[in-house]
Amino acid sequence: MGTEKLETVADHLACFIEKPVLTRRQTMLAGAAAVATVLIPLPEFNVTGAQAAMKISRYPRVKIGTVSSLVVDKPVKFFYPQKHENQRNLLIKLGKPAKAGVGPEKDIVAFNTLCQHQGGDLQDLYNAKWKIMGPCPFHMSAFDLTLHGQNFAASAPANLPQIELEVEGDDIYATGVMGIIYGFTDNMQKL
Amino acid sequence: MGMTGHHIASTYRDLPKDKIPLPPKDAKVLRTGCDYCIVGCAYNAYVWPLGVEGGPKAADNAIGVDFPVEEAAGGNWPNQNQHTIGLVNGEPVNVIVMPANSKVTNRLGNHSIRGGRIAQKIYNPYGPTADRNQMPMLRVRGMLTPISWDSATTIIAAVMRHVMDRHGEMDIAFKGHNYHYYQNTYAWTKHSRQAIQTPNEGHHDKPNSSGDSTATEDSGMDTFASNYIDFRDADVVMMVGDPLYADQTIIFTEFMMEGKGKAITVLPRRTKDNTWAEKTGGVSFLVYPGTDQVLLNAISRVIVENGWEDKEWVKEYVNTTEEINFGMGRGTKTSPASWRRGRFGRGFPEFKEWILKDQYATVEAAEKICGVKREDIIKAAKVLTNEGKAPRPKCTFANEKGLYWSNNYLGTASLVNIGMLCGSGNRPGQMFVRGGGHQRGWVGGGSYPTMKSPERSAKMGRMPMQQDKWTLAGRTKVFWSEATQWIENSMGSQDLADYVQKHTIDAPQLVTSTDEGHVIQTLIERVDAGNLVVIHPDPYLRTLGALYADFVLPVAQWGEDDFARNNGERILKIYEKITDPPGQGKPDWWIHKEIARKMGFDWNDWKNAEEVFIEAARFTRNGSQDYLPLIVYAAMNKKSPYDLLRQRAGNGYRTPLLLVDGKLIETPRLHDSTRVNEVIRVPGVTTVHKNLSHFNSTTGKGFLYETDWRIYKDYHDLVAPRKEKGELWITNGRVNEIWQSLYDDLRIPVITQRYPMHFVEIHPDDAKPRGIETGDLVSIENDLVWVQVAGWWANDDDDMLPSSLIKKGYMRQTKGAVTAMALVYDADAVLVKPGVAFQYFIWPGAPSQAVSANISDPLSSSPRYKTGRARIRKIGVTQFKGTISMAPKDLVPARRRT
Repeated sequence: MGTEKLETVADHLACFIEKPVLTRRQTMLAGAAAVATVLIPLPEFNVTGAQAAMKISRYPRVKIGTVSSLVVDKPVKFFYPQKHENQRNLLIKLGKPAKAGVGPEKDIVAFNTLCQHQGGDLQDLYNAKWKIMGPCPFHMSAFDLTLHGQNFAASAPANLPQIELEVEGDDIYATGVMGIIYGFTDNMQKL
Repeated sequence: MGMTGHHIASTYRDLPKDKIPLPPKDAKVLRTGCDYCIVGCAYNAYVWPLGVEGGPKAADNAIGVDFPVEEAAGGNWPNQNQHTIGLVNGEPVNVIVMPANSKVTNRLGNHSIRGGRIAQKIYNPYGPTADRNQMPMLRVRGMLTPISWDSATTIIAAVMRHVMDRHGEMDIAFKGHNYHYYQNTYAWTKHSRQAIQTPNEGHHDKPNSSGDSTATEDSGMDTFASNYIDFRDADVVMMVGDPLYADQTIIFTEFMMEGKGKAITVLPRRTKDNTWAEKTGGVSFLVYPGTDQVLLNAISRVIVENGWEDKEWVKEYVNTTEEINFGMGRGTKTSPASWRRGRFGRGFPEFKEWILKDQYATVEAAEKICGVKREDIIKAAKVLTNEGKAPRPKCTFANEKGLYWSNNYLGTASLVNIGMLCGSGNRPGQMFVRGGGHQRGWVGGGSYPTMKSPERSAKMGRMPMQQDKWTLAGRTKVFWSEATQWIENSMGSQDLADYVQKHTIDAPQLVTSTDEGHVIQTLIERVDAGNLVVIHPDPYLRTLGALYADFVLPVAQWGEDDFARNNGERILKIYEKITDPPGQGKPDWWIHKEIARKMGFDWNDWKNAEEVFIEAARFTRNGSQDYLPLIVYAAMNKKSPYDLLRQRAGNGYRTPLLLVDGKLIETPRLHDSTRVNEVIRVPGVTTVHKNLSHFNSTTGKGFLYETDWRIYKDYHDLVAPRKEKGELWITNGRVNEIWQSLYDDLRIPVITQRYPMHFVEIHPDDAKPRGIETGDLVSIENDLVWVQVAGWWANDDDDMLPSSLIKKGYMRQTKGAVTAMALVYDADAVLVKPGVAFQYFIWPGAPSQAVSANISDPLSSSPRYKTGRARIRKIGVTQFKGTISMAPKDLVPARRRT
């Protein structure tokens, strides 16, 4: 999967020694063209009073999809907790129970898509066979989605941030983030 | 968390943080480097008071960028494990340690997982490093009891002085880090070599002061001669016993991944390096431990048979047999290196004649002995040489402990042969180096007293003493183990542990009070009765300290004093003090100074680390780490050398330095034949060493060797797994995430979640019949571990073979075992070769070498840690089933092409 796209990203990388910084926008654009996953437009945050009262959270409670529409190993992209390019995530039904997985099979998870090492783009690098994201095209980090995004193959010194999910009926809500998304020092930092 | 046995992590998930505090604009910025591997990446530390934070705008934070950071690979984002709390002047402060945006090494903030979380190493009295050693401790009635530094140094000085005067200096052993900053290595070797003058010296990784990649060194090649860009510019990088992704992560991810070259790997276990080799059109070999030599000989033979060698280069840069021997008229050739060069060195025609007729240097022998395929051997020869046609590929070679701590001399010599045939070692992109190790912080404070060593082999001169053998022979009276684990580090480690226990805590002369007179008298009675006193300076309380040591001394480590050292491309950097050491922790240089002065030695009363740095400089002269010109340059310009290093920060100075016309000149790479005219006649105050443009041999040329498998085969056959016992080869080695850093990692959940305890990887074909699966607790047992206890002299080849040693009664039969968690990957994620199990090489309290024989290489006195054997049986189940990812660790991304 994604071989074509990887090389595209890498071509951009090739110039970063001379031109010291690769912008996020470039990699995003490079990635967007190649893979046919669905990008859900970011909904307006509608935090309902009743649900918000159930627990205190810094994060908004946002509907990001439905259980019935998810297909095993077909990731769906969404922004959370804010509409920022770094905060693009994948909602995936793994077909295998996972830590913090939701849904009847406990196999629905969501993760941020930027590598915790140096911000490499993993949005098209879900590996269905092993239920991982990676290896990152920059420096080969990879993360196990069944184990809270465990950084099982270096070099990232932190796990991939997992989006906390809740299921209500058929609806899937994002309710928080475990970990700090690449580039941020606080996921809810005012933009 | 003091450890008295097998360390098992109590956390197995890294808890996410909610926020990373940013350093304010006026935060203190300190220049440092990663403390761990040889690559030596540059880092910055930011220190500021608690309760204060910088803002997300570039103008409001010390990192100087806007948050959120949008750029990838810009090196400006501190992750959640790069922040911690430390103490400065006793007060808690915020600390962030993150990669520096240097121009060299880890450009644009690249980092390994080890350096990427190095902030967590800092002594944090509120965090997991709160268990650092705090005060000097003396074992009183079996308990470690606090005493003053004055008492500790007085007692140790008195006992050492007594042993020197009564038993002789050879009975005082020093085993220390040979990398741990110039200040500390200089101080301990000034103490051991210059002051006490003992040959009883071991390094953190070996029981002697022998070479590492010995034949590389014999061939006149500095093992860290290259510039990291050589790994980018090479058309082929060949790694033997050396997974560069694990061993030198940033060389791999920053330089090799940027290059266009192919890779060839020779290992018993897969890593990302193997996959990279396959994807780039190179070759990945999986061999049985210790057999690399046979494969390498076969590759050399294919090259020579077909005339694919670099003929012009060989003619110009490889010694002829006559040149090898022409030193005879100028004295005897009895140093080990000169003896080995004469014994094994051959000019090309003689080498060719030998390799074409040797029955073990064939493709067929390699297939059988190493378990590799014919077509791969031929392919490797073609990839390395382009079948002798233009353009000839530029080949860079890297070797490491998988090769040279299995089959030290002949293994490394057989790789040197390929290097020479490919024209490597003295040109950009065509170098021959080690591919791992510690940073180069070694400066010997005196010459090693080789002539005092009892060790000789065959007809060569004396070799460095093997101190474990000397200790087991009952000679060592005082053992100083500095920031290194003596027992678990050693071959036949359980046999050694038995000896140490019997002669320390089980000895009748036990200290019963802290009274100085009583302690000195008791310990003197102990050593006079043939027993042992153990002194162990270390940041943490570990097995040696907890179980056996008489003294445990708290040391200041990285970030706790202003240290300096070189990295693997000889870049000299400063490692500034960031936070306070715990309690009464002191740097090693201070401890040696105090004891040496109390022993009556002439010793400057150093006030700070820079004074030691300056004093040590002259001992680096003419070497690859020569920084004396920096000291002279600083004096000429009325500056402090440390201020100059601070100004250079992560970019440092690349040694050896030359001082010409008042300017410092750096050395991009050693043995650089393209620089002959540039450096050979440099006018100025500094000497120009042959190393700059030539190989460091009499002629300035390199060597080919007759690498006869028969000399190693005798050992190989003795230690090979016994089929009737159901044994496997048990090798051990490094793992990217924890090598060099495990002593800190044990306290860091983002690491322990994946590596919670000692582990052994077993091929599913070997695991299944034994009823073993991932997460099981297994015992790894060898009921015949050979230990060489005598045979200091070997008059002839036969005398150094283990079969001869057994006949003469110089070998003892012992047993060894170690416990581990089994990791059994799925068939398509498997890492180890069938018939081979792989352990981590030094997990605290789990002596992986317990199942390896204690028989050093007779040609170099080097250890053979990696060639163990054992049966493996399930003894229970761990709590880690289901918490560890078993996804394949050897996946790599698609190759970048332009």
